Amino acid sequence: MPGHKHHSRLVPILCLGVIAVLPAGCTARHPAAAAPPAAASHAEHQAAAATATVPTSAPDRALRLQALLGQHSILAANFMRGRIRGDDDFAQAADAALSKNTADMRQLIGELFGSAAANQFQPKWQEHVVELFEFAKGVADQDKEAQAEARNELIKYEQDLAAFFVGASHGRLTTAAANTAMRMHVDHLLMQADTYAAKDYAKSDQLYRESYDHTYDLGATISAALLPPKQAAELRTPMWRLRSALGKLLAEHVVVVEDATRAAVTNAPDFAAAGQLVNANTRDLAAAMDTLFGAAAAKDFQSLWANHVDALVTYAGATAAHDSARQDQARADLSTFEARMATFLEGATGKRLTVSTLADALKAHDQALLKHADAYAAKDYTSAHDIAYQTYEHMSELAGALANAFGSTVAARLPAGAPQTGIGGMADVVEHR
Amino acid sequence: MPAPVRTAALVVLAVLVTTVLSGAQPGTGREIPTAPRPAPAAAAGPPVVDGFRSPRTYTAVAPPVRLRIPALHVTSSLERLGVLADGTVAVPASPDIAGWYAGGPRPGQAGPAVILGHVDSQAGPGIFFNLFRLKRGTAVLVDRADGSTVTFRVSSVSRVSKTRFPRDLVYVPTLQPTLRLVTCGGSFDHARRSYRDNVIVYAA
Repeated sequence: MPGHKHHSRLVPILCLGVIAVLPAGCTARHPAAAAPPAAASHAEHQAAAATATVPTSAPDRALRLQALLGQHSILAANFMRGRIRGDDDFAQAADAALSKNTADMRQLIGELFGSAAANQFQPKWQEHVVELFEFAKGVADQDKEAQAEARNELIKYEQDLAAFFVGASHGRLTTAAANTAMRMHVDHLLMQADTYAAKDYAKSDQLYRESYDHTYDLGATISAALLPPKQAAELRTPMWRLRSALGKLLAEHVVVVEDATRAAVTNAPDFAAAGQLVNANTRDLAAAMDTLFGAAAAKDFQSLWANHVDALVTYAGATAAHDSARQDQARADLSTFEARMATFLEGATGKRLTVSTLADALKAHDQALLKHADAYAAKDYTSAHDIAYQTYEHMSELAGALANAFGSTVAARLPAGAPQTGIGGMADVVEHR
Repeated sequence: MPAPVRTAALVVLAVLVTTVLSGAQPGTGREIPTAPRPAPAAAAGPPVVDGFRSPRTYTAVAPPVRLRIPALHVTSSLERLGVLADGTVAVPASPDIAGWYAGGPRPGQAGPAVILGHVDSQAGPGIFFNLFRLKRGTAVLVDRADGSTVTFRVSSVSRVSKTRFPRDLVYVPTLQPTLRLVTCGGSFDHARRSYRDNVIVYAA
């Protein structure tokens, strides 16, 4: 594929660009990050996997745990929705993606907390997934008894998983907190399934987003409780929290665009709600840019990002309508976006990231999302899920690089020293109280 | 074997063979029945995407105009503060008025908004004389230029040496809406004409 070799180096190059200005830099954590999905064949991904590095620091692994948990909530919801729609081929492919996510999480938990913890975690998590499937099956079949049975089993596995996390934390995580967190995760997924089946798509998508948000953050809660205190303290630093928050928003962009794409290419009635999710994410991203670079920059960013999202949605709609002219126009609009956004980000980061590397990374992102739309429209659900999985991980990596560059840009302009907010007229009182 | 049943059996077999060959475990560990229900086709009707439009108007959180801390009987208009030539943050011109660091987030938007005030003047107490008395959970209100008010709750109060001022914790933007109130405290260094510590209130 022309250009593939170039694209396969984009993220490592991006990381190098950041490493050049930041000692912490970023580390390629997954093969997908080393080879952006849109441009890579399966064999090429396999080759990349052989050379990719893995995260070595606990804070980086905690970020990856967050990303995997957020992805779990999305894949589980998609899988349940496929089953409820009677779209069993889709559900089968979602199931395979969920399996990969569980395997990746098991490996990561082994790296973070040891193989014994991973061996305990995996079967409990797997059973939890099984019962989510059983619940969705009960909803699809309108079998209240099956739903109740699955719900009861889920409560049992919630408690098992909570007990596992409490035990592994050596008392740093309370049983009540763990139970509450697991209960909320499962409740989100069951309620989104119920509301989806009832065709209350607005409510279902609201829960879909809340589920992602909560489950993503659960990764930080678990990591903070299970890591040794010195490593856990790193998760409280503002820079780690910024990386976490940006990673969540940018990865969410991928999953909500894909959700809207699935509805768009089938001209499905849940598109309006999916579109609202995309717009909510766009607003949150613009608000983040405001925090980092000010309101004027946020306004510019939102305008550019809106072009990006509109082109992706237009492409999905044109694919449904078999309108190749509109597809071509959407591609052209995306090319324009990539160049303009790269220029914007280079300026915002004081050239800590360069136009060329940013444009290449954005192009890889866009191409992956278009390929996802193509695969879904062709009902090639296995490819669609593979692409979605890799695109999510690619964006998580890109978010890390962006957060590092944003953070160092902002840090460079922060006030120095300590504020001098006292003259001393009341010193005798102040120093003795 | 009837054709539909044969087709379904072949599909299930294909899935199982694919799973075994790929070495992957099913996510649920259970077989998902495929066929005879076809995947939904594109629905008829007007294209659903036609009504979609990304948000183009960015509405920024309004800047702060007033600080209120009822527990301390503090009400103050807010001066806009920047950074001085030496890189340090500017402080309010009057000991009776608090100031908002305008280089950072506005109160209520994502990130830490920073408000500074003097503990004292040459002659008496400043606007933040009793800031150290704030307790966890105490309400701090900020009125904004558009007439809205955002309420924060104190999460912690700390006193730190000026030589170890936690610049990252005070200024570095996370994406949670928070507030920091900063003044001076501790003993007074008469030679430098400066307090040795800062009192920092963290609120969310």
